[in-house]
Amino acid sequence: MSAVKPSRFSGRARAFAGPVLAAAAAVVFILAPAEAETPPKWAGSRTPAVHRIPLNDEFGQKIIPSEPNPLPFSARTTCAPCHDYETVKTGRHFNAASPDAPAGRPGEPWIWLDERTGTQIPLSERSWKGVFKPADLGLSSWDLTLLFGRHFPGGGPAEPEPEDETPDSRWSVSGKAEINCLGCHSASGIQNHSEWAKQILRENLRWAATAASGLGEVGGIASRLAGTWDIADGPNPDDSEWAVAPFVKYDRALFDSKHQAFLDIAYPPRDSSCLACHSAAPAGSRKFDYEGDVHGQAGLACASCHRNDLSHRMIRGYEGEAEDDPALLSADFTCAACHLGREKDQNDPPLPGRMGAPYPLHKGLPEVHIERLACTVCHSGPLPEKEAVRVRTARANRLGIFGIADWSTDLPAIVEPVYLRDARGKLTPHRMMWPAYWGVKEGGKKTGPVRPLRPAEVEAAAGDILYPDRTAVRILAALQNASGLTGKAVLFAGEKIYEPNLDGGLTAVVPEAGTAVPAGDGFAALENGLLTPFVPDFNPADSETAAEAEGAIQTALEALLLTEAAPGEPALRFKGFLYRLVDGFLDKMENAEAAGTGPEWLWAAGETLRPMLSEADKNAVLTLTGTDRRLTETQVSLVLEALARGGRGNAVYVSGGKLFRLDKKNRLEALDDPAADPVAWPVAHEVRPARQALGWNGCTDCHSLSSKFFFARVDGQGPLRTEKISRRPASSYMGVDNLYHRLFGLSYAGRPYFKILLGAAALVIGAVLLAALVLAAGRLSGLIEKRK
Amino acid sequence: MTVFVILAAVLPAALVLVLTARRFASSIPAAEPAEERRRPAPGAYLGWLRMRLKALAVPSFFRKTWDLWNGWAEARYRGWTKWIFLAWAAAFLYLAGSGLFFAIFVRRGLYGLPLLGHVMSGGLFAAGLAAVLILRAGAHGFDRREETGPAAFAVPFVGTISRAIVRKTVFWWFAAFGFVQVTTALASMLPMFTFNTQVALLMIHRFSALGLTLAAIVFFDLILPDRAGPRA
Repeated sequence: MSAVKPSRFSGRARAFAGPVLAAAAAVVFILAPAEAETPPKWAGSRTPAVHRIPLNDEFGQKIIPSEPNPLPFSARTTCAPCHDYETVKTGRHFNAASPDAPAGRPGEPWIWLDERTGTQIPLSERSWKGVFKPADLGLSSWDLTLLFGRHFPGGGPAEPEPEDETPDSRWSVSGKAEINCLGCHSASGIQNHSEWAKQILRENLRWAATAASGLGEVGGIASRLAGTWDIADGPNPDDSEWAVAPFVKYDRALFDSKHQAFLDIAYPPRDSSCLACHSAAPAGSRKFDYEGDVHGQAGLACASCHRNDLSHRMIRGYEGEAEDDPALLSADFTCAACHLGREKDQNDPPLPGRMGAPYPLHKGLPEVHIERLACTVCHSGPLPEKEAVRVRTARANRLGIFGIADWSTDLPAIVEPVYLRDARGKLTPHRMMWPAYWGVKEGGKKTGPVRPLRPAEVEAAAGDILYPDRTAVRILAALQNASGLTGKAVLFAGEKIYEPNLDGGLTAVVPEAGTAVPAGDGFAALENGLLTPFVPDFNPADSETAAEAEGAIQTALEALLLTEAAPGEPALRFKGFLYRLVDGFLDKMENAEAAGTGPEWLWAAGETLRPMLSEADKNAVLTLTGTDRRLTETQVSLVLEALARGGRGNAVYVSGGKLFRLDKKNRLEALDDPAADPVAWPVAHEVRPARQALGWNGCTDCHSLSSKFFFARVDGQGPLRTEKISRRPASSYMGVDNLYHRLFGLSYAGRPYFKILLGAAALVIGAVLLAALVLAAGRLSGLIEKRK
Repeated sequence: MTVFVILAAVLPAALVLVLTARRFASSIPAAEPAEERRRPAPGAYLGWLRMRLKALAVPSFFRKTWDLWNGWAEARYRGWTKWIFLAWAAAFLYLAGSGLFFAIFVRRGLYGLPLLGHVMSGGLFAAGLAAVLILRAGAHGFDRREETGPAAFAVPFVGTISRAIVRKTVFWWFAAFGFVQVTTALASMLPMFTFNTQVALLMIHRFSALGLTLAAIVFFDLILPDRAGPRA
């Protein structure tokens, strides 16, 4: 019989311990499931798991593709059993708005582009210099998703928390664009980023991942549905043509009998997935000619360096990242970490870097270059040219979305390389863009900040000023309906031909060889390269010969009667005669005002006559069409006046590194202002091999009197066509002295002779020293005295 | 680099202190044999130093300095060759001044226009040193007769040696350091040496420059006149 060991606790203590233990057990019980959900650590197998898995919808219900009206699959519920979705959400691609997320080194901002108003505003939730916070411009998560969702990986603003949903949003109709795991991790060739962009544009947010993955075909357009529609409502029984509710038709061949789908997963992601959003190439470069990054050519993938764990806190790989985010192992993935090896412990011999990356010898390179320049200065991006090179990026210029429509845009204009100092004071190549926007100068005309105006506000105030081509397009649309017209109604002016395009604007057409474009301007029919003006050259005074031409005039005027938003009745003034339609008949009366001139198309309102195309509109069409500029100085003046009339007295426009405003005499003046300063972010790609690095040909690659590195022109770029732009040499952005580098560069002209001088001097000094040494040795040993 | 900065700040100052203290000691009237002179108090030395500095701060300082150098150069360099010496000396002064100042006081080191001047002066210094050696090496040959001359310079562990021997030794040390300076400068301009070698070359250049400066200070002290007139 064993004796019971007496308890050390008193009865009161035991009574107290009971509830405490129960509470502790409850805590353990509560915490236990959370711990169980933590994904197991990697056991060591490098074989990827085959993802033949059931797909779940956003409500966690298993998708059975043969059922009627199946819902789109949800990554949140489908991937979650193995990959904790909440952990993934902390990743860099999704956490921009999180206050806990380190801003890190500046990256490419989102650029809110509105071509019509000449607006390009850099935006980011991260606190980077020069960028605007979306909320400061009144942009909600909904707005951001519609503006930039085309290049979102899902999640982030596209999947707002309920408290972040704004009344103007339509999340209940569109659903939320959850993190699109397959957007990055699909290895299937059918994964389609363009389809993702298309679905986002249609506001089919919850369907976008399914459509892009190719697991199913998505139809319907959520943006056409009433705001009261809900996914539980199912198909719209009232409309099968226009307001069709989005639906999915799954590809049943991809599912097995247990309704499990095979997902071809790439771990880590393939480069093509990254490049859907991270492509960049010099504007105008040819695809077959493009080299890419030397690391990529050597077999490395994007994810070889830009790694992450389940948290998706991705290593960007810049020097100093480890200080910005100590949780990352980013110090091991910088240029130096791979190419200089691990020289952490001086007691151990340094080991070569990752994969035994080539060790740079940098022969003849003075130490100051390593101290003051990032590796990327010499090894990345395009080589410096006389002017900074224009580059197009996927997210800014909407690249990588393929289809009949051309999604890409010329604006915003981004240039590289511009060398700026980073947070550590090292020169680093940057991409640069100049913000352009309408705004109100606050707190005084000289010193106050500029509060940007939303494009819609500007458009409301400016009206037709921003649409110089719209009037011409309306006229051409009316003329196109002229009876008997077989060609295409076009505008000719300044020896160019302009025809309406699908976007409601004008496209400049290069006349075919042999097509004679009449002097002056007017409207004509273009057919088979032959340009036939609506008013042929004739003598109105000669009634016998004028009959046929006047018939053509009547036909044109009749067509012009149907011009949309016409401010009057159409009329034509030609060689001293004015033609109008009166009661359906052509009325011809003498009008001496324009005797001897070509045909003038006019709007007649009572007795008032005014040109169909104002001089300002005509100039804008002539100077802007076919270019990447969107505004003329005249337009800016007119819009500023319009904004002032609307109560915005301190209205300004920012473009090309200058701030434009009206002076006291209502003339447009351009000023330097911090609001117009460019926004820049470092670039690291494309990396060039050592033999193509800056300096491979010697010091004069950079140090010369006309060095492109120091003295390249960096001109402000913007939607405004003007000569008043910021013009600075590259050295001014580097923060180095221009004169000094001119002189220093000049010194390299004499550098070879200088080396010869030093070499000769060294020889003489060495010879004398050697002689002195020999003599001293002779004296010390007594050999010289002995010889004497 | 930190070690170099400390040495660059301390060694020249220490050497100047030692040499001026020697001058102070020798300035005390020799009423009795030198070995029996009483040790002067530090306060007296500082007072003497202040007095000497005050004596320098006169309008005629630059003219007197010029007269000294010009006279010294004319006595040793014939005709126009004195200008070689004077230009070379000026180049050295700029090199030493700019190099030490930036090494000690500017974290970034030598840069900008001063660096450009440093490089240009370096060329002048190299050519000047070669010329000076051609012109004056013969005058700095060691001679046993001088070695047996009056002992006037106490060198630790060596004993008392003649002033002429010290001057000649310093001259050749100066030449040797100058040779290192010129070769390291030249080597760092050639695209032959790896980055790590470049770093080593620059460090050698710095330490050699320090040695050069110290040698120059001693040499200057030896040629500077005392109460008895020009000495070496």
